[in-house]
Amino acid sequence: MLSERNPERRITHRLAATGIAGVAAITLLAACSSGGSSASNSTTPAASASASASASSTPVLAGGNCSSSATHLTFWAWVPGMSRAVNEFNATHPDICVTLQDPGAGSGEYVPLNNALKAGTGAPDVAEVEFDLLPSYEIQHYLVNLVPYGADKYKADFASWAWSQVSQGSAVYAMPSDFGPMGFYYDKQVLAKYHITPPATWAQFAQDAIKLHSENPKAYLINFPANDPQWLMDMMAQAGAWPFQYTGGANLTIDWTGPAQEKFAAFWQALINDHAVDAITDLSTEMNTDLDNGVLAAAIYSAWAPSYFAPDVKHSMGQWRAAPLPQWTAGASVGSDWGGSTYPVFSQSKHPAQAAEFAEWLTATSQSWSILKTPPSSLFPTYLPTLQSPAFKSLTYPISGTSQPNQVFSAGALSIPLTTWPPFMTQVLTQGATTFGQVVTGKETLAQAFAAFQQQEVSYAKSQGFNVTT
Amino acid sequence: MSETVLRSPAGVIAPPGAARGRRRRSVYARRRGRSGLAFVTPFMIIFTLFMIAPLGYAIYQSLYTTKLIGGTRFSGFANYAAVLRSGPFWGGVIRVIVFGGIQIPVMLAIAFFFAAIFDLGVARWGPVLRAIYFIPFAVPIVVSSLMWGFLLDPAYGPFNRLMNAIGFQNFNWLSANLMLPSIIIIAIWEWTGYNCIILYTALKSVPRDVVEAAILDDTPLWKIILRIKLPMVRPAIIMLVFINTIGAMQLFIEPTILNNYQAGVVSNTWTPVIDIYNTAISDGEYQLGAAMAVVLAVVIIAISVASLAFRNRRREFA
Repeated sequence: MLSERNPERRITHRLAATGIAGVAAITLLAACSSGGSSASNSTTPAASASASASASSTPVLAGGNCSSSATHLTFWAWVPGMSRAVNEFNATHPDICVTLQDPGAGSGEYVPLNNALKAGTGAPDVAEVEFDLLPSYEIQHYLVNLVPYGADKYKADFASWAWSQVSQGSAVYAMPSDFGPMGFYYDKQVLAKYHITPPATWAQFAQDAIKLHSENPKAYLINFPANDPQWLMDMMAQAGAWPFQYTGGANLTIDWTGPAQEKFAAFWQALINDHAVDAITDLSTEMNTDLDNGVLAAAIYSAWAPSYFAPDVKHSMGQWRAAPLPQWTAGASVGSDWGGSTYPVFSQSKHPAQAAEFAEWLTATSQSWSILKTPPSSLFPTYLPTLQSPAFKSLTYPISGTSQPNQVFSAGALSIPLTTWPPFMTQVLTQGATTFGQVVTGKETLAQAFAAFQQQEVSYAKSQGFNVTT
Repeated sequence: MSETVLRSPAGVIAPPGAARGRRRRSVYARRRGRSGLAFVTPFMIIFTLFMIAPLGYAIYQSLYTTKLIGGTRFSGFANYAAVLRSGPFWGGVIRVIVFGGIQIPVMLAIAFFFAAIFDLGVARWGPVLRAIYFIPFAVPIVVSSLMWGFLLDPAYGPFNRLMNAIGFQNFNWLSANLMLPSIIIIAIWEWTGYNCIILYTALKSVPRDVVEAAILDDTPLWKIILRIKLPMVRPAIIMLVFINTIGAMQLFIEPTILNNYQAGVVSNTWTPVIDIYNTAISDGEYQLGAAMAVVLAVVIIAISVASLAFRNRRREFA
């Protein structure tokens, strides 16, 4: 998704920073706060800072000029600039009239969506749902299988990771839209100052991190946001230490304490012990300021980084470059994904065929992508014809000068290990933020936090009736 | 004759006037009851719809458990047993009691100090200053928490730089040890003006002749304030303790916002209301959340009743 990881946090910072005291700002802030800017956020990172507009609950953003005989659909999404795509769809599909509403990013949308789904009425026909939350909706039978509506024929058009995310068995429960292949995103002048080149392996990365911090005790190679379970789990996926196995039904595997997980924890704990990585909240004004000032030389970031981070850049404009993720095995090329959104059709919909047609058009046509890849949406496509087009790969961004970061991220997009999310991701993210927060404050080691989290998750899953394998 | 007279009160041969009087009274009482009902009804409808009914529904919900695998079942008091056994929940309750136990007395002392100064009229710009002190209360708590978050920010906040400048290295107002004290400072800043205005109004109602008599007796100013005025506004102070205690028990916004400035300090169970929010919304355990809310309400009611009993014992109110 390139739309928002923790938009509330960003927006509130931004507004407060500019010192807006007007009624509009207060209303907006109040709206943000009710969305919960706490650790409970389950949203994934977003591309565009212009997403700030998305938090205000503009009632209707598109739709309204349709013929009276058209089938009416309601659509919820928080991607900025989404109304452009909806208007294009309405103009080219006179039989269907899609009305777009933006209830706010992340929990701003999920909370009213969950309430409507529980109540049995009031849910939209189609809504934006992030990859990691899809199983949470699938397990409650809130989603329509799109295979009868022809979704299967698009399988080859999508990055294999994205298609596996929306599939469960032979069913397809959503159309994938955008995602966030990860990379090593760095300020080339700062790295050059320390005579460091983008590390090819994690072993090299560790040496570089220690070297940089010993040369300048006030600076770090990257920060380690242990309190962000999404980032942590995405890194674990790349390390072959993915802690969950779930393919629907009542069986769930939870493993935070296996050999692969312990190896992962030990690697980062060594860097934490050496103070070679900084432990600050990610996706925050503080982290962006540190990146801009050279306190942080790099970040393990995602494809949406250039547009997400750009608004805070003052000093390092044009210096940012993308490199592939460091590898656990020299010569390998394993990527990972951070965030991304899908468009499911809800079982409450009275017009599932038309809703499916819209979701398919939105995600699997070049008309739609010609709009959504551009600002302010700036989505990073899972749709291969766009993802692999030279025009998309060669896009440049002001903070990256003449370099083409999408070359790196597009290549990484095809090597993402398959992952399956537990069907209660908001619980995982909220509990994880607290449990791993103990690592940030130095009260626990990462391995201790993993062991504690294993217990917490097993206990929660059992209380929810799952057969848990550890 | 005497027999008749004796029987008359039973209404057999009642004099006309007596019967009329009784009927008139009852009509009056009925009419008064009816108009009273008419006045109360709009409030009661809204009160029932938005307070009693949701409360009843929450209690009803709290007796059920919904599992992702297995659906909804009646579970009796299982949710309550889980809340009573929950260490994090009671840890949060203790934290807000500590918070209130420090914040409320300090804030009331400051508020009374300023209220007394305004009441004496010795401050030249009294009305202007009163308005200025009241402003923090008019700022939405979300906004003031954000503002304080920037002031106390570990990396770039001016307060940390100040502490570093005077020799405290790596001083972090939002660290695990200082988060609660920082929130106490923020809450005092937010609420002192409001409490000050209420105390000022109470002080204004202290009869002038009492104070004048004390002045004629050459009583020192501090004695007039502490020995005469303070006891006379005690009912207002006790009411403020009561209201502020209920507010303190529901601490939510400040830690939720400050959590964004310092990772890993404010846990998902840091205060009871944060715990309830995360249990219901993030964990999807609405019924357990409802049980926690009911338990928290019982704790607050217990504190309120204890405070009322204390007031009655002290005969603070007629």
